[in-house]
Amino acid sequence: MVILGNAYNPTNKALLYKQLGLNKPIIDQYFIWIGHVLHGNLGTSFISRVSVDSTIRAALPIDIELIVVSQILALAIAIPLAMRSARKPDGPVDRLLSAGSFTLLSIPPFIVVVFLVLLVSIKWGLANTGPSAYVSFGTDWIANLESLSLAAITIAIGSFTLYFRVLRSDLVATMQEEFITMARSKGLSRRRIMWRHAFRPSSVTLLGSASVNIGGLLAALFVVQYFLAIPGLGYELISAINTSDYLLVQGIVLVVSVGVVLVNFIFDFIINIVDPRISRE
Amino acid sequence: MSDSASKLLVVNDLTTTFATLGGPLTAVGNVSFDLSKNETLGIVGESGSGKTVLSRTIMGLQPRRNVTVSGSVLLNGQEIVGASEKAKRKLWGTEVAMVFQDPMTSLNPVMRVGKQIDETLRVRLGMSRADARARAIELLELVGIPSPERRYDAFPGALSGGMRQRVVIATALACSPKLLLADEPTTGLDVTIQAQILNLLDELKERLHMSVILVTHDLGVVATRTSKIVVMYAGRIVEMGSTREVFTNHRMPYTRALLDSSPKITNPSHTRLTTIPGRPPNLLNLTNGCSFAPRCAYATDRCRKERPELTPAGEPGHLFACWNPLMSNREVGVS
Amino acid sequence: MSENYGEIVIAEYGHPQVEKPEGREPLGVLFWICVGWIGLNLIGAIFANVLPLENPLYENFTAINAAPSLHHLFGTDEIGRDIFSRVVYGSRISISAGVGSMVIGFGIGAPLGMLTAYRRGHFDTIITTVMYTLLAFPAIVATIAVLSFWVPRDLFKIIVVIGIASIPIIYRIIRAATLSVASRDFIIAAKVQGASDRRILFKELLPNVAPILVSFLIIGIATVVTLEGALAFLGLSVNPPTPSWGNMINEARSVMAQNPWLVIFPSLALCLFLLCLNFIGDRLRTHFDVAEVKI
Repeated sequence: MVILGNAYNPTNKALLYKQLGLNKPIIDQYFIWIGHVLHGNLGTSFISRVSVDSTIRAALPIDIELIVVSQILALAIAIPLAMRSARKPDGPVDRLLSAGSFTLLSIPPFIVVVFLVLLVSIKWGLANTGPSAYVSFGTDWIANLESLSLAAITIAIGSFTLYFRVLRSDLVATMQEEFITMARSKGLSRRRIMWRHAFRPSSVTLLGSASVNIGGLLAALFVVQYFLAIPGLGYELISAINTSDYLLVQGIVLVVSVGVVLVNFIFDFIINIVDPRISRE
Repeated sequence: MSDSASKLLVVNDLTTTFATLGGPLTAVGNVSFDLSKNETLGIVGESGSGKTVLSRTIMGLQPRRNVTVSGSVLLNGQEIVGASEKAKRKLWGTEVAMVFQDPMTSLNPVMRVGKQIDETLRVRLGMSRADARARAIELLELVGIPSPERRYDAFPGALSGGMRQRVVIATALACSPKLLLADEPTTGLDVTIQAQILNLLDELKERLHMSVILVTHDLGVVATRTSKIVVMYAGRIVEMGSTREVFTNHRMPYTRALLDSSPKITNPSHTRLTTIPGRPPNLLNLTNGCSFAPRCAYATDRCRKERPELTPAGEPGHLFACWNPLMSNREVGVS
Repeated sequence: MSENYGEIVIAEYGHPQVEKPEGREPLGVLFWICVGWIGLNLIGAIFANVLPLENPLYENFTAINAAPSLHHLFGTDEIGRDIFSRVVYGSRISISAGVGSMVIGFGIGAPLGMLTAYRRGHFDTIITTVMYTLLAFPAIVATIAVLSFWVPRDLFKIIVVIGIASIPIIYRIIRAATLSVASRDFIIAAKVQGASDRRILFKELLPNVAPILVSFLIIGIATVVTLEGALAFLGLSVNPPTPSWGNMINEARSVMAQNPWLVIFPSLALCLFLLCLNFIGDRLRTHFDVAEVKI
């Protein structure tokens, strides 16, 4: 109906169906699609007439950039803060940071982004949201980072709370171990002990938590892109749903799922290498 | 008692209390003793007697949270109780060092062995990387590790238990401390290795002119290697004196029970092992009387009501805490 | 968040007789305050009909974008609906989504997890492989995908989809917890004494897995409430004019500058609810001394 427009009538409909292979049973259609996928052909969207492939290829780098930037941001803040916290557990700094992080994790990313935008646009009068505002990396990398900053910060906040909590509790546990007491008895400073002795075993847990974070990360990613109109996969996905562009939805779901599985594999692999204890078991 | 100035370590009325969810727990109660240069002291007791907490408190290594320490510990005239972490750190490694019980947990499992030794050398003594490495290899050799250059790069997991403990000893000795606290240094090791490690400690003590405090539950270990011993029960000292005196002329029934319960090679085969009936007391619910009374064959009413203080036994330095002590061998005429 | 000193003191290293100190980590005043707040929300959700609230769908064009007042506690929105009552009615959607989907998820995932962990064998291997494979795929994406096709949307569908999507994770957590409990000595002792499987499951395993289960249940509800909020924000939850915290915030986006109350109140309601729920779940965990279950 959508495709034929005014030329819609039963004969044409039958012809179109035949042409698109829609007259075959649904199972067959599905297998044909899988066959196409394996050949790298995700099909051409009925709605936008653009190949699903190219849409995804255009959107994917944006997601990757957002993920990388936000995670670096989150880690850069979480690691030093967690170390500071674990140095004096239940001390004033620790209590403040732990309470703060706990509160933050109860604020879902869509609320964070809404309030950040409220803050930024109302208080400072900046309005760099909207698809026109996004500048790709290639053209102007400073503007690019600027346009992504709000999104990256929002996502980073969510990831930060996880990293901070996990790292802090792991550090506190590691600090109870005998080899830390021995390191103390050698007269080493607390700071040195934290960074040189405690951090390495704890960083493994951090790595592990990174893969747990993926679920929440995706949710935040999609929500933020949708709200700030950043043309990444999340934005495309929601738009596709709203325009009933099922082919595109299928394509994106496939790519994202495969991506996540791949990333989990890689993480597991790295963890096995980094921790000599685990590989020995 | 000679003046404190000549003593390496003077412990006076040391008490360590933990604030637990079930109430305050006195792990170490009113412990006093001293140690001269080049002397070796043995601290003996069952599990739960407080000996590990005592050794940690002496060094100032007790956990920082929910722990109160009162009394005094003078190391070479410097007060450890109540000293700031910074002040204590200056002493750790260079004046006093500790050898821990389980080398698998006391060594950092993800750091190479050599690095763990020369870390102290570089941070505390300011040695260069090359110098530190050379000295570390020297130390590994000193503690009897074969092919030290190769072992320098090994991870703790690659070494056997005995070798790991040697590494721990090497690390402790790196900055030539005057006092070495060895907390059950051989308990986790094979029996054959135990003797080796203990002999090594003896040797090193002589060579480096160190004083050693040996903490253990095994009387056999202290019998020939210490000049003084302190017997602990439920956090308190129940008997102390020169090793010879305590072994041959002990007055406190617990000491006798401890001695009796260690198997002797001279006993005929199939001799039944004597055990001490009952279990050590729950340190959260200590009674007013002697802590050993419930398990003591000689306990009197007074023992159950009043806690005995340490009283001198005759020979200088020999003290015991008991209302109903065993008869002194001296009095009976046996020497 | 604090350690047990009894263990450090009483356990002489090498002698693994660790005695638990008497007394547990107290729950604290803040805990009960949070319980109270959640209770309040629940009462509001359940009894919304009988409470003296404005009709949440009634559009009162005489009072548009009104600021909070005695009559309209939270003010009104751009078509005159009372925000306060919309927030209260909105809690129904969010809370039902949270509780309903967890009922499904735990109702299926937990018994499966316990059974397979206890019985082991082929049954276990098959189901665990299936579950772990499902786990590898991001549940969020699947949820979004399914909800995008299955229209028209209503609360029931959302509960079902999220509930089913949560089964693999719940399965894994409960299975891990049961495995660690089942390997403890008292279970083996019970088996040796000839106790029937059913007896062991109910009398020995369940009481020990229960604390972990409850803590994760609560955290799970919080997660689903967040998820529903996010879905509503994306336009994938119940359709307007039915209020839910998420879609109220979504609708308020365009008029944020003019009427910030529209965004503030539902956000506050959602965040406070989540905060209290998370806090309760966390405190229960430390109270029952449940270690982070190593997954």
